Amino acid sequence: MACSQYGPNWAGPDGDRLTVLIALLKEIPAESINLNGFEEHLEYPPSVSVQAIIEASTSWIVDEDTGMYLHTDKEAFCVAVSPSKDVPNWPEFETQEYDKTMQTELNDQWKIEVEGVSQGAYVSQAQHTISVPSRLGLKAQIDGERMVWPPRQLNAMAQRIDTEGMQLTETATILTWTRLSAAGAPSEFSSRAPILDGVATVLVEFDEGPKGVFMMADDESGKLEIDERVDFVFRRLYGQDGMMHYGLKAVLSKS
Amino acid sequence: MLDSSGENMVDVAMVGAGQTKFGNHPLGLKGMWAEAIQKAIQSVDNGFDSPDVEEAFIGSIAFGGSQLGNTAALLTEHSGMEGVSVRRVENACASSGFALRDAWMAIKSGQADVVVAGGIEKMNDLSASRKRYWLGVSGDTEWERLAGLTFPGTYALTARRYFHEFESTHDDLVHVSVKNHMHGFENEVAHLRKQVSFEKAQSGFMVADPLTLYDCCPTSDGASAVILVADHLAHKFTDTPVWVKGSGAGSDHLALHDRPSITQLRATQSAAAKAYKTAGISASDVDLAEVHDCFTIAEVLATEDLGFAGRGLGGTFAREGEGRRNEGSVTINASGGLKSKGHPLGATGTGQAVEIFKQLRHQVEPERQVRGAEIGLTHNVGGSGATCAVHIFGRER
Repeated sequence: MACSQYGPNWAGPDGDRLTVLIALLKEIPAESINLNGFEEHLEYPPSVSVQAIIEASTSWIVDEDTGMYLHTDKEAFCVAVSPSKDVPNWPEFETQEYDKTMQTELNDQWKIEVEGVSQGAYVSQAQHTISVPSRLGLKAQIDGERMVWPPRQLNAMAQRIDTEGMQLTETATILTWTRLSAAGAPSEFSSRAPILDGVATVLVEFDEGPKGVFMMADDESGKLEIDERVDFVFRRLYGQDGMMHYGLKAVLSKS
Repeated sequence: MLDSSGENMVDVAMVGAGQTKFGNHPLGLKGMWAEAIQKAIQSVDNGFDSPDVEEAFIGSIAFGGSQLGNTAALLTEHSGMEGVSVRRVENACASSGFALRDAWMAIKSGQADVVVAGGIEKMNDLSASRKRYWLGVSGDTEWERLAGLTFPGTYALTARRYFHEFESTHDDLVHVSVKNHMHGFENEVAHLRKQVSFEKAQSGFMVADPLTLYDCCPTSDGASAVILVADHLAHKFTDTPVWVKGSGAGSDHLALHDRPSITQLRATQSAAAKAYKTAGISASDVDLAEVHDCFTIAEVLATEDLGFAGRGLGGTFAREGEGRRNEGSVTINASGGLKSKGHPLGATGTGQAVEIFKQLRHQVEPERQVRGAEIGLTHNVGGSGATCAVHIFGRER
């Protein structure tokens, strides 16, 4: 079982039942799992299927015939994986203090983003779906002696790069960082930027060589340093055209 | 015919150049273009007939989307160039720099003798949300923008990394801002005609840490146009043409994270090398350069990538005032640059050429004249460095 770090009543500025689920699935040995209607409890439909998200982000396989069931609580941001189809007895989860005004403001902004007419950038559904293993699972390609991430169709010699590759280790080093005010943030994030006191973004280098740009999560301290290490967590990115888009964000490594 | 060494039978002369004021312009696209082309035509000493134009290259992102398709055809129809072979050129903020290069190549290749190159952008009559969307369309949408980054953020990442790698601090960027505001103060077509003190430029509100308001160029409306002709026609139009002595262009990975280094622009280095080669000069021969200071850090990098300062010494170059008008080794952004003159995205490149045209012909405001200017350079970058066009101009052929 798992609950949001803030307790059962809020999944944080960029969390929901799905982010809690992925965090849980990454902590326990992977098997196959029956969604058991889980997707019906999400506030907003995800941009790709819950199955695709689970299988890209973790080593779990979705199988509606398996005897391991997903459960979630209609009222609380808690999830469970159980061999029983019966709804579990949810324990008392610890609740962490949080700013309820911020919670309300952010919930309102998410709703506006998802349900409003988008003034934001657009990636075609085809491209978005093709990129899921790389975006959520850090799956890299191998081109000769180097690893390629984000994915490409052709290399510098116009030769096809194998889609099969390997996963980057889920830790990286900060090469540089910035914090964007609302004025500096993309329109997809600008309405939430003032509530969060800015959007922190890092350019990181993976141990295997590729680099990437990620927003930070859980960075209440606001202090970042070049050469610090980060891990990655699955979180909400932005809402658009009636759907919630998810991706990886960086968090300062605890180790 | 163009051979691989760049030697060519045809030289290219700029015989006219004009632009609107950059800033919040009362006219729309058609009106601004008409104003720019009229000023370019009026600047031709011996007169010019617009029906003589054979090709027109107009740079624009078509910001706001009001005329995304057939932009060039609409504008040329409304400016005395009906029936001309036209096209919109798009390479983000380098659109009209590439329009200029395409115009140059059209004449060099012998396909045309009289060509217009220009650019235009209308940015300031959009809603805030619409503008914010359009300001971020030229990065890697999937892996930069939707990972939380637009250009203030991209250049902020670059600035912080630059401070980390070299002996430089944000104060070096402040020097760039102060200089360019000083240069633009007397420029009649500049968007922001106000000088700023060092202390004020140090303390602006943070846009993308460490870049403040005073590190960022404004969003501007504007249009610019230049008239290029083949060498055998130059003296029909003027006794003092400005010769396009060299042209070079390059590109690099669109996304910052794909580049081996984020503190230098390979697109600039490649474009500059080609331009210097075709012009037969080196950086030390350049008297004034209009460089692409969309953000102050961009000017610091440009001075290195163009060869005016050594690697890692761009901050020192700025701090020591090397680019100040008539004080340093080369005047950088005599116009005020994008920071003060303004940055109507598609119009910036040929706007830089307009400045060089006037400087080399001693037709700028007296206080702004770069003394003894013989060789000028323009440097126009697309986005965070995905594309770059560099041109070199001279009073002598």
